[in-house]
Amino acid sequence: MIKDILDKQVFELKKLWANKRQLTFQVLNLAMIVFSALMIWKGLMFVTQSESPVVVVLSGSMEPAFQRGDILFLHNAVREVHVGDVVVFKIKDRDIPIVHRILKVHLDTDTFQVDLLTKGDNNRVDDRGLYAPGQLWLNRDDILGKAVGTLRYVGMVTIALNDYPVLKYVLVGMMGLFVLTSKEG
Amino acid sequence: MHTVWVRLNAVVFFGLTALLGFSCLAALSKLGHSLRHKPVVEVLKLNTLRSLKSHGGYDRALLSFDLMVDLAPAFHWNIKQLFVYVVAIYETEGRNNQIVLWDKIVEADDEKVIDEKNVFVKYALSDQSDQLRGKDVTLQLQWDHMPITGLLYMDGQAVESASKFRLPAEYQ
Repeated sequence: MIKDILDKQVFELKKLWANKRQLTFQVLNLAMIVFSALMIWKGLMFVTQSESPVVVVLSGSMEPAFQRGDILFLHNAVREVHVGDVVVFKIKDRDIPIVHRILKVHLDTDTFQVDLLTKGDNNRVDDRGLYAPGQLWLNRDDILGKAVGTLRYVGMVTIALNDYPVLKYVLVGMMGLFVLTSKEG
Repeated sequence: MHTVWVRLNAVVFFGLTALLGFSCLAALSKLGHSLRHKPVVEVLKLNTLRSLKSHGGYDRALLSFDLMVDLAPAFHWNIKQLFVYVVAIYETEGRNNQIVLWDKIVEADDEKVIDEKNVFVKYALSDQSDQLRGKDVTLQLQWDHMPITGLLYMDGQAVESASKFRLPAEYQ
């Protein structure tokens, strides 16, 4: 069955290659989809002032509030942070951002700089062990945004893609192929 | 051309759209709930100050408190859990400080009335320097609503009704 489908796709591709006008149309179509997605992402970045407006929860350290695979919407346009806020922060020189809750806030009333300490709801100890060596406090700039909304399970796809990187190429390849070969109407 | 793939794509896409729609409706259905139903904190006050000591230049106080609150009004069908926490608020020279002393996760199936006496803090009241002596500390209960899907929002006891106490002027 898979061979049938593949043969069909190859046949469609060959036909498409012969028809340059149709080919141009399909390529533009694909480009439109890619750029729309990019525009939505960049638009969200602008509105939320956050470098990653949507994140996927990768660990169980905030259970039962958030589980692996939940997605969180971040907002970073408000400077002020409070204890109890769930925030996403990034430690310098480390790739993966962390979603945890603020435990302590010390605000300097002259410079308006804050020293923050965070902790995962499901962790026994605070996050000092996760910070850079010698780092005791987070600053406002370490925070990518405050979690303002959640949607369940949607991030499972991302987790699957992360765990099995091959899947990424298969999925993207398949999507590209189908967009190219599918016909409107 | 109605291949399996076109159909599958249509079904999956429609399914996701419907799911997103229902999620939005679920979130919208209880908009403004916290304005109409707000838990009342009956008691939140200092019970005993166990100690106030200096730990390598940093002041640290250990204490216990009494807490009585019925959190049921804050729940509705889209709330998975409340994250309830006691905050100590105090000012030192040039600093506004907020520190969580105790927290609790109250899930939708749990007992929603918290009535406990002499609760020992989970996290010490520790200062960034040595300025805790003689300071006024406000204890305030706050809670964060964690929805099944939708917006997160916070609420808490009115600061005016929160109880205050003064830490002793000497270490003890």
